[in-house]
Amino acid sequence: MKLPEMKTLTIFGIITALLLIGLAIYTIEDLPAYGDENSPANKHIKLFSIEDRGYAKELNESILPIEIKNKIEELGFNKKENYPPLDEGNYEIEWVEKGTLEGPWLYSEDGWNVLIKEGELFYHEPIKYYFIAEVDGNLSVYRYNWPVRVMELTEEETGMGNAVTSGLADYRGYDTMGEETVILTGAIGVILLLRRRGKL
Amino acid sequence: MTPERRVYKRDVIIDVTAKLMFPLTLLFGLYVMIGTGGTGGGFQGGTILATAFILYITVFGTKTGREKMPESTNTFFSSFGLFLYNGAGWLAVLFTFGAAQWLNMSAFWPVADYVGTAGARSFLVSYMVSVGIGLTVMASFVSQYFDLAWKEEDEMEEGGEG
Repeated sequence: MKLPEMKTLTIFGIITALLLIGLAIYTIEDLPAYGDENSPANKHIKLFSIEDRGYAKELNESILPIEIKNKIEELGFNKKENYPPLDEGNYEIEWVEKGTLEGPWLYSEDGWNVLIKEGELFYHEPIKYYFIAEVDGNLSVYRYNWPVRVMELTEEETGMGNAVTSGLADYRGYDTMGEETVILTGAIGVILLLRRRGKL
Repeated sequence: MTPERRVYKRDVIIDVTAKLMFPLTLLFGLYVMIGTGGTGGGFQGGTILATAFILYITVFGTKTGREKMPESTNTFFSSFGLFLYNGAGWLAVLFTFGAAQWLNMSAFWPVADYVGTAGARSFLVSYMVSVGIGLTVMASFVSQYFDLAWKEEDEMEEGGEG
């Protein structure tokens, strides 16, 4: 049996199809599960460390210690810079245990979540904003928040100065490739439906 | 030899404008497409590149337009763009024997030792990823436009004869 002669141009199409098939298998094998603690959206940025002078007790009583509050606001996360204010009544504090899964968040360490309450100017529902964990007798204050994190860590993580490009081609690389495939598939569909035979 | 098929009468202004705008639009499309520092990206740049060809085809007809963008080039570009993007991602996996993840571009590029991770990564994203997206988008849109224009021409022909 003789195989039909292959054009040089078809090789690129075949390799692309093979790579896509390989990518599908690789994605199933390699992509982290939903709720992965190390995925960019679930990581938090460390702000500072502070010596524990009875703050843990205050945090357990749902009060944000004034020293921590002042230090956060000194770093620039205050009302002047359009960050939600940490006045009493604006926030909620809840204790989370290591390994618990709540929504898409899997906690990799014990700590207190600082939630900004409903009715706030910025958000319609309580949102996790700060995270305080105890490390060797010191309290470490972290900050979550996905858009803020992208703005601050994009250069360090992706090595690119443009946050939009890093989002398009780095954090969401799989998504962009899928979009491109959709466009190519659409063109192939139009070719199959409308093109008459013998007309190129 | 069949006469050139056009919907409207030959007009000097339209012809000259289309001829002048064609290379300039291509240049602008490349400017939008390439580079991580500016606005835009692959999708937008590819669409602008496609509009240049669509303008040309609209003014000079599908037959002359096909000479500017032959069938072989069109098919080649539509799969080659995806090939570039996909290949850039796979190179990272293959060069490190699976240690780096797909599209983790800083991991493998040998130039990173000389120009730094940021330079190598921006180079890869701006040239391989963006140009890959742009080529696929351009070729797909031009191919769809050709198909639709041909369908209309065929219908006009059938209606005229029958």
